[in-house]
Amino acid sequence: MVSPFAWFKWQALIRDWSVFGQGFANTLLAAALALALALGLGIVFGVFGAAPVKLTRVLNRIYVEFIQNTPLVIQVFFLYNGLPHLGVMLPVLVVGVLGVGVYHGAYIAEVVRAGIQSIHRGQLEAGLSQGFSYVGAMRHIILPQAARVVLPPLTNQAVSLVKNTSVLALIAGGDLMYHADSWSSDTLYYGPAYVLVGVLYLIICYPLATLARNLERRAGVSG
Amino acid sequence: MKKKLVAALSLLLVIGLLSGCGAAQTKSGDTGSKDAPDIKAIKDRGVLKVGVKVDVPNFGYKDPKTNKIDGFEVDLAKAIAKKILGNAEKVDLQAVTAKTRGPLLDSGEVDIVAATFTINEERKKSYNFSDPYYTDSVGLLVKKAAGYTGLKDLNGKTIGVAQSSTSKKAIKEAADKLGIKVSFLEFNTYPEIKAALDSGRVDAFSVDKSILSGYLDASTVILPDSFSPQEYGIASKKGNDALAKLVNDTVNEMKKSGEIDNLIKKWSLK
Repeated sequence: MVSPFAWFKWQALIRDWSVFGQGFANTLLAAALALALALGLGIVFGVFGAAPVKLTRVLNRIYVEFIQNTPLVIQVFFLYNGLPHLGVMLPVLVVGVLGVGVYHGAYIAEVVRAGIQSIHRGQLEAGLSQGFSYVGAMRHIILPQAARVVLPPLTNQAVSLVKNTSVLALIAGGDLMYHADSWSSDTLYYGPAYVLVGVLYLIICYPLATLARNLERRAGVSG
Repeated sequence: MKKKLVAALSLLLVIGLLSGCGAAQTKSGDTGSKDAPDIKAIKDRGVLKVGVKVDVPNFGYKDPKTNKIDGFEVDLAKAIAKKILGNAEKVDLQAVTAKTRGPLLDSGEVDIVAATFTINEERKKSYNFSDPYYTDSVGLLVKKAAGYTGLKDLNGKTIGVAQSSTSKKAIKEAADKLGIKVSFLEFNTYPEIKAALDSGRVDAFSVDKSILSGYLDASTVILPDSFSPQEYGIASKKGNDALAKLVNDTVNEMKKSGEIDNLIKKWSLK
């Protein structure tokens, strides 16, 4: 048989490298924007979840439970094919950023909430007694301390966010996975294609994980 | 202590796997009297493993009511099973998609694939193909409401195609000839393309006409245009050359005897 990794298949891959380059760029862009959105949503809803106000806690629960308990694929598919029936046609990149960002935002909200709740309540009381507002005490006293605790789980979320941008392939999103599927199904040279894609995802995720580890070290968190 | 136990168990597992493979190899080797090893392996197993489509009405379609897979290509598979094993019912049908049929052949999960598999030069480098048993052309499915009458009306529009299908190339060439520009979005499965057509993500759904007819409904219409006729062949793994020859001979015999034409009529194709 011809090996799935035969040399002429690698040559074809090298010839068509720009296909993968384009996918790589789209994946980077979608991942960066989605990560920004997820962090924003995660911090806001995380603080909501730890706040002493019932309304914000309820909002946190609705968001987190709804998102965590439905598959990402369904959410993205709905944004892509469902919303147009309601007259909203979002560009596919926006679908990706929104889908993946909102999805991971819910997980990050839980991470942040747990981080805040791990800080002794005396810290908040001391802040309030010194004249800080609740928001001020959160921002200057609680969150900086919580940040050290949440860095490791946050890294996990960032890395899986990058990998989850591959759901874009399902909705013809032009990301790395989409181009790999497209190219390898045209040529049937799937062996080299998916090896390359794996390496490219590694190239994005590994520095991210390393960066986070360095941040942890600087923040004085062990492990 | 625990570590040692785990190590010992893993070692045992590895040895088991290795010796298992070894035994299988010798078994198929020492009895190869007149059959080639690839045919022999199928005979020893007593069943022919065939990759077929399950979402293409009249070719390979799993009826949700009966849970049975039926169609033109299923009948072809049965004819080949009859040739090798003497019994048309000794087929193990496995659902394949455009994306999985290559890897499944390589891994040996299926012996042959009869799944609206278009023959082309690039693919011939990776797999053995039989002579064509059916020729189909690419068509376009559009919404009635859009009022398109042909490809010429689709300038600047988006066309949904399936991954691993050759329709993209066919439509592109035709569009170039007409001097119009179309863009493509590729999806994994046909239902996804239909969903994208319904939601307006794509303006046309383009695959082989025989497949397209299965997705026709009250709100859609197939345009009269036909593009680049393409031939379907039965694929097998390179190296299983005796099997490829047998499959090819069977297809040619069936063509000569008119059996293929009868099957085409039976499944009301064309």
